[in-house]
Amino acid sequence: MTTLAVRLPLPAGLRTVRGATGITLVGAVVLAGLLAPVLTGTDPTAQSSLALAGPSGNHLFGTDDLGRDLFSRVLYGIRTDLLIGLTAVPAGALSGCALALLSGLSRWADLAVQRVFDLLLAFPGLILALAVTAVLGPGRWPVIIVIALAEIPGFGRQLRAGILVQREREYALAARVGGASRLRVLLRHVLPNAVDPLIVQSAVALSLAVFIEGAMSFLGVGVRPPEPSLGGILSQSTAYLATHPAFAAAPLIAVTALVLGLTLIAEALNEGIRR
Amino acid sequence: MRTFLLKRLPSALLVLLAASFLIFLILRLIPGDPATSLAGPDAGPEAVAAVRARLGLDQPLPGQYLHWLGHLVTGNLGPSYAIGGQVADLIGEGLGNTVELALGAVVLVIALALPLGVLGATVRRGPVAAAVRALTTAVLAVPPFVTGVLLVLVFAVTLRLLPPGGHESILDQPDIGVQYLLLPAVCLALPSAAVLARYLGDGLERALAEDYVRTATALGVSRRRIVWLHALPNALPSAITVLGLQIGQLLGGAVLVEAIFAWPGLGQLAEQGVLRRDYPVVQDLLLLLVAVYVAVQLLTDLAYAWSDPRIRWE
Repeated sequence: MTTLAVRLPLPAGLRTVRGATGITLVGAVVLAGLLAPVLTGTDPTAQSSLALAGPSGNHLFGTDDLGRDLFSRVLYGIRTDLLIGLTAVPAGALSGCALALLSGLSRWADLAVQRVFDLLLAFPGLILALAVTAVLGPGRWPVIIVIALAEIPGFGRQLRAGILVQREREYALAARVGGASRLRVLLRHVLPNAVDPLIVQSAVALSLAVFIEGAMSFLGVGVRPPEPSLGGILSQSTAYLATHPAFAAAPLIAVTALVLGLTLIAEALNEGIRR
Repeated sequence: MRTFLLKRLPSALLVLLAASFLIFLILRLIPGDPATSLAGPDAGPEAVAAVRARLGLDQPLPGQYLHWLGHLVTGNLGPSYAIGGQVADLIGEGLGNTVELALGAVVLVIALALPLGVLGATVRRGPVAAAVRALTTAVLAVPPFVTGVLLVLVFAVTLRLLPPGGHESILDQPDIGVQYLLLPAVCLALPSAAVLARYLGDGLERALAEDYVRTATALGVSRRRIVWLHALPNALPSAITVLGLQIGQLLGGAVLVEAIFAWPGLGQLAEQGVLRRDYPVVQDLLLLLVAVYVAVQLLTDLAYAWSDPRIRWE
């Protein structure tokens, strides 16, 4: 693991202003989500008669239309989003990478895998979301599956491109001449040198996960209430924008900080790799 | 151009056929029987069977598939199951509204991306360049539902300039229709405009580093003339390809924007169709979306060939 850290140019990228800002934003949001049980004692699903109240000492961000405390809903909503992202992104990444490795093995597999990527890209993502939800019913799992499916082509294409470049390098040819099998060259020599861009892709993928979760909530096929999610709270707040604009403030800030931070991290890492 | 089309059309049709097969299969995987839900909770088995026979759902699946393809070829799409009315009417109405939204967005994308891209390539240092870069980064990072809520908060709730959602036909009342169109179209256009502005800026920067630009500068051609008449035409082909890809994305994004702004388009129809298990509506709609995507790809290739004389229509 230590050798990996030395070889990767990534930390250098993160030490720029952009990288540090990104880490701070994402860190703050993630910390708020992780510490939710410590920061608030209020149950995020507990209703009260105090509906649509403004911010006060008891309710830092006010309450929603059912009198639930928005502070604890947003904190627990962050947890939901993180949990979904950290399940779906690795699943999508692993599937995409497995397909890319498969395409590195034979020409026919490559053709088939590329068509799979094309198909996943061509289907409008939210139509896919509607179709998957129609089959499985709304809830947390359809959201995770849709995100994982949407992440496959991103990771797969990145790795496939990396493999194509690295495979022609001298060291790979040398290993091949030295008698290593095609599979061994691919897994032991080419793969470790093609993973850097995938780390950037992970940051992009996490922000895509927040995006899809929110979009599905807006379409009414997201995480099922009363479970809080960032997109769910935000879409719930839109009905009251004209009368209670403060309702939307907290989820807006949390989503924006999270996705903006992830984008900044991805850009900083990208620069670090290119340098 | 004819040979170009002749060469591309068969593979496009093949994609459509494969898509129709996939769509048909996926929809049949959905648990639940539309005949049972249509017949109502109190219906006996005979009533359900009657509904099933009327809709042709008692036929074997290959028969149902061929029946559907036949409908598509003749253009008679038949009635919807649950939403009510003819499928063709429902889709026609939704399509008009979605096209209105998408066209508005495409116009905005071009209007925003062209000046921003040129600005990004010509002003490379200083506060203006930094502002352009920060703006495109932010617009790309933030999901459309956040932009949408912010747009409503600023322009509808605080400034009270525009309605927060809904739709008025732009053909019947252009002055009111455009007010309803503006916020959703901006929300839909912003991410694509940012992508296009970046590609255009990069392409323009590369073009400006070419020898012919140095020659033109040496000959005393003004900077503005060089940028707009010499460099821009050379940066356009790749930008047009990106625009084509973005139009595909716009159609997908329209589903979400329609939900945010209560815009009665294809997205809302798809949402209703899926949630109410209206097979005919959903399968025709999905196939239409794929067809539009394929057509946009084809048109993009044509536009690319048109904008770059080196590519011949072969």
